[in-house]
Amino acid sequence: MSKSIAKSLWLLLFAVVLCCVVYPLALWAIGQSVFPFQANGSIVKGQDGAPVGSLLIAQPFTKDEYFQPRPSAASYNGAASSSSALAASNYALRNRVATTLGPIVRYKDGSNAGKLVAPDIERWFQQDRFQGNPSIVLQWADAHNSLAQAWVAADTTHAGYVTDWTKSHVSVVAQFVKANPGTPQPQLSDLAVVFFETFSRENPGKFPSAVTHTDSAGKSTTAIEPVNGGTDIQSTFFDMWRTDHADVPLQDLPGDMLTTSGSGLDPHITLQNAEYQLDRVAAKWAADTKRDAPDVRAEIGKLLNEKAFAPFNGIAGEKLINVLEVNLQLRNRYGAPS
Amino acid sequence: MTIWALPIAILITTTILAFPLSRYLAWIMDGKYRAPRALRWFEDRLNSGTQDWKLYVGSMLVFNTLLFIFGFLVLALQPLMPLNGDGKGMLAPSTIFHSVVSFMTNTDLQHYSGDQHLSNFSQIFFGLSNFFLSASIGFCGLVAIIRAFRSDTHLGNFFVDMWRVVVYMFLPIAFILGIVFVQQGSPMTFESSVQVSTLERGAMGTTEKGEPKQQSVVVGPLAAFVPMKQLGTNGGGFFGMNSAHPFENPTALTNFLSCVAMMLFPFGLVLMFGRMLKRLRHSYVIFSVMMVLMIGTVIWAVYYDALQPNPGLTSHPLAQTYEVPSATAPGGKRVVPVPAVAGLPVDQHLGNLEGKEMRFGTSAGATFAALTVDVTDGAVNAEHDSLNPIAALSPMVGMWLNCIFGGKGVGMINMLLYMIIGIFVAGMMVGRTPEYLGKKIGGREAKLALIALLVHPLMILFPTGFFAATDWGLKAESNPGAHGFSQIAYQFSSASANNGSAFDGLGVTNGFANNPAPAPEAVPWDIVTGIVIIVSRFLPIIAPIAMAAYLGAKKSAPFGLGTLRDDTATFGFLLLGTVLIIGALLFLPVAALGPLAEHLGPIPFGG
Repeated sequence: MSKSIAKSLWLLLFAVVLCCVVYPLALWAIGQSVFPFQANGSIVKGQDGAPVGSLLIAQPFTKDEYFQPRPSAASYNGAASSSSALAASNYALRNRVATTLGPIVRYKDGSNAGKLVAPDIERWFQQDRFQGNPSIVLQWADAHNSLAQAWVAADTTHAGYVTDWTKSHVSVVAQFVKANPGTPQPQLSDLAVVFFETFSRENPGKFPSAVTHTDSAGKSTTAIEPVNGGTDIQSTFFDMWRTDHADVPLQDLPGDMLTTSGSGLDPHITLQNAEYQLDRVAAKWAADTKRDAPDVRAEIGKLLNEKAFAPFNGIAGEKLINVLEVNLQLRNRYGAPS
Repeated sequence: MTIWALPIAILITTTILAFPLSRYLAWIMDGKYRAPRALRWFEDRLNSGTQDWKLYVGSMLVFNTLLFIFGFLVLALQPLMPLNGDGKGMLAPSTIFHSVVSFMTNTDLQHYSGDQHLSNFSQIFFGLSNFFLSASIGFCGLVAIIRAFRSDTHLGNFFVDMWRVVVYMFLPIAFILGIVFVQQGSPMTFESSVQVSTLERGAMGTTEKGEPKQQSVVVGPLAAFVPMKQLGTNGGGFFGMNSAHPFENPTALTNFLSCVAMMLFPFGLVLMFGRMLKRLRHSYVIFSVMMVLMIGTVIWAVYYDALQPNPGLTSHPLAQTYEVPSATAPGGKRVVPVPAVAGLPVDQHLGNLEGKEMRFGTSAGATFAALTVDVTDGAVNAEHDSLNPIAALSPMVGMWLNCIFGGKGVGMINMLLYMIIGIFVAGMMVGRTPEYLGKKIGGREAKLALIALLVHPLMILFPTGFFAATDWGLKAESNPGAHGFSQIAYQFSSASANNGSAFDGLGVTNGFANNPAPAPEAVPWDIVTGIVIIVSRFLPIIAPIAMAAYLGAKKSAPFGLGTLRDDTATFGFLLLGTVLIIGALLFLPVAALGPLAEHLGPIPFGG
């Protein structure tokens, strides 16, 4: 026994020195001397010499001049990689994709080909009928309680709006308490569905959304109001609009544009995805630099094709673009976006 | 066709490399290699003399205990140790227990995220040390069994065996792979993180002072960490998202090498088994059976995940209603309507891309998912929680059978158990004394094999059932319905198979000891999976060594007409049948409640 312990200690000592000190130090020496760029995280610098990012780690872009990376379940936090972990059967996955699609999806065929669907979603929403039944918002809240609750919890202004509602609808709340003896003092999330049901009845064809008003003094205030158009409606109700219009041909969007990656930091998008974004990017740079849009589009298109690569030269997969690399090139070529 | 090129290339490359490797492994483990004098000094220091099976197992347990203490100290003292640039604190005690047990046993199930919770010191001295040593322990277990089967006078010496595995096998290959990884883009630095201002200033948001936020990019000694993580079939990620993370797996080439690295030793060990026993043809039969099963899991995963769209985004035109029992509803039944949904305009010709990275290739996520469980590695390069429901059956089956090449030595040991049971049953059916390697299998050997074999299903099914019925499981699920059940079943399968992959949505993260908002049921998860891991690791190593020792001590029976030959296709089918029948009998109900129910049930499920 004591012999075993002594030998175990020797083994642990030898192994730790060799595997945890010698081996990593040797690789560190090689990495830092032969491959210093990669060994320090593939960090690239901007024009002012400050590090702007890692070529291997996705970072967010909000301006239309830049190509967008894939959506990130980690909010592009390079210190906390994360996937969505949403199962196919989880409605949250479908909802996330549908809300992204609503404002940007376009018709495929016919006289509408290439036109945005969004205005039609608003018109359909204002009619307030889904599957032949009245009250879209009511049906939405009934079918997706968790989304209704998430709306209430999403923002302090949302919570404030619902709190005000409970004050002006004391009888509705009392009725809810009577019907649900289990929750004598309902929280806002408990009341979310009832709130939307009442809201839908009182404001047919409308949805609560943030509206900014600017008064005569130039001071702007943002408040929640019932509205009958806007991005919130286009995104929230796209899935229901689609169910009512299942046979209308729509342009498919690239899959990688709508799905989150495994790490949340995938630095690549497919060339197909980049080409889908090309019109927007080129138009914006053309406006910024006051040049002809087709010229800029051709230039950027050429850049994409130069930078595209495929895993194992295409044996294993499709052509990809490194988002930061291309955006950095655009920034260097055209200057700062306006 | 490109979809199949990658898995085919991985399987062929590894098989070709496994032949010379197995020759080398047998040469080293049979002690034919004469080390240079300097290295012999170490062996002499470690050699405690020849050991019988009880001493060998005893040494193994003593060393594991020491490894446990060492790992626990490293993690518990993390705040005091160097190489902690981001000032990380101490993990919750139950998480330390779970992590230490998990890494020491080659499981590497992680209830923490390396990028958020571990310093570089812990990654190296806790993670890397266990990568080398835990893998060697399973390896030595198999070598001991082989020597016992050969009726050697003794089983060799545990400490010398361990040293040889680490120094002559793992280190050189890991070092070469490490150079490739750093060249391809894995960082190799002792810094903790790099702060970068994004190209578009303020795209990450702004701080309270109104300044644009920087992106914090965690780096570290990845190029040393990852090759051994794969070679040792450990699978514990440096980052939370493991081999999906661009630093841990920067290119299609590193992904290919990661696959080959994790399969290399499991493949080689099966052939080494035959070489050391001088029954190479017998090894070929076992190898073929494992290969058939492996190809099956790969095809299943790739077909259902990379060639089929994510069903959550497609159309389900049939509105359905379900009746579910409900105590409160009138008539005792509640009607649940499932409305029809239309397809969303998403181009899914690359298959299910949710939770996949783009740079590895179209089928890489599904291929990796199947391979990583077959060889009980447990690294992942895609989110298994988001695999298509029916495709997720492939990794689960890999863990349930736990003998498709399997981990370092342990997979081969599990296959031996199936073999003993198969021969025993076949012998009973034809009315002959069952024999393996010319030795009669008696009641004692069959009992030991059965004990070792039944630990696995018991350790999966009981806790899964218990957690699925109580708040411990229900509060941890992050997905609705059958998939929530799958998450629980997957976690215990992974723990018991010493695998380490997970359905990551499951809420099991306790975080730092001072975390104000840990996952509500993290402590029971830490402790119960920790216990499952220990039991499922050590019983299936110790019982087979004992069995092999008893078997080896028996007289060899002469080869006769009635001997069941172990190097024929017939034997292969016997083995395949045994594995499939036992596996199906044990796990079909779980499969039906989890992935099959999700696949056949309504999608999306609930609101």
